[in-house]
Amino acid sequence: MAVASPSPSESVADHFARFGLAPRYAIDRDALESEYLRRAAQTHPDRFVGRPSGEQRAAMEAAAAINEGYRILRDPVQRAEYLCKLAGIDLDSSDPRGGAPHMSQAFLVEMIERREKVESARAEGASALQALRDQVEGEADETLDEAADALDDDDPNGAARLLVKRRYLQRLLDEIDGEH
Amino acid sequence: MAYSDKVIDHYENPRNVGSLDKSDDNVGTGIVGAPACGDVMKLQIRVEDGVITDAKFKTYGCGSAIASSSLVTEWVKGMKVEDAMEIQNSQIAEELSLPPVKIHCSVLAEDAIKAAIRDYQSRQAAEPADEEGAR
Repeated sequence: MAVASPSPSESVADHFARFGLAPRYAIDRDALESEYLRRAAQTHPDRFVGRPSGEQRAAMEAAAAINEGYRILRDPVQRAEYLCKLAGIDLDSSDPRGGAPHMSQAFLVEMIERREKVESARAEGASALQALRDQVEGEADETLDEAADALDDDDPNGAARLLVKRRYLQRLLDEIDGEH
Repeated sequence: MAYSDKVIDHYENPRNVGSLDKSDDNVGTGIVGAPACGDVMKLQIRVEDGVITDAKFKTYGCGSAIASSSLVTEWVKGMKVEDAMEIQNSQIAEELSLPPVKIHCSVLAEDAIKAAIRDYQSRQAAEPADEEGAR
């Protein structure tokens, strides 16, 4: 579907600026919430009925950007990953330059071994699997905390490595939960 | 996400799932990961007289990643090592009709077979040449 380019004020602004927040990991969630509601009401399509189509489209694009920004900022993992993106590291990209950093061979070997352990824990029974799950989940949470610290220390590269590690741990959790 | 019939076939009936003895000097092991999605892939080959006689894989990831590694193990069996080194991700993606967002899965499979071959070659280089004295 062809769409006109979004108005620069909405597309160029980063999501933190969009909600009047400083680009930091720690945010005021109440401020995010109330600003989201205010902006969402401002750009609601109902307000633009009968307006020129250009205005309607701009409002729609603004509303989409606000929704996307809210979805990203309210989620701690996505917020941390977004801060890396603002620093020029796109964790959704596999590009060696500017993409998600590659992990060490030792880490990948460990990940394979741990996933193999999921199979044996599953065979052992529900409590073994739950114990493994709790351990991995704790580790994933800890890794996110470390990434947040790195972001606070203005170390986006360190944060990106930790967030990639967390993604592997997340996939390990998905494996335990039987999701792909 | 609509998967092609070939992806679904390999996903539902993956070929050559399993492990080879990684301490065997005739076995090469490649372990690679996709940092953007957290998928990990282990691909192993057994080589005799320069020909890949067996291949096994374990992939923890999406259907396309499983299908890509399954396909590669099928392809390389019976192949000369140097020919297997020439496998390109584009061939894998084409065979499986992977959509653009899943191309990285075929890249992962290419990286895995290359890593396995390099591991085999480094083991052979480290090994005193008493077994294959002809060369």
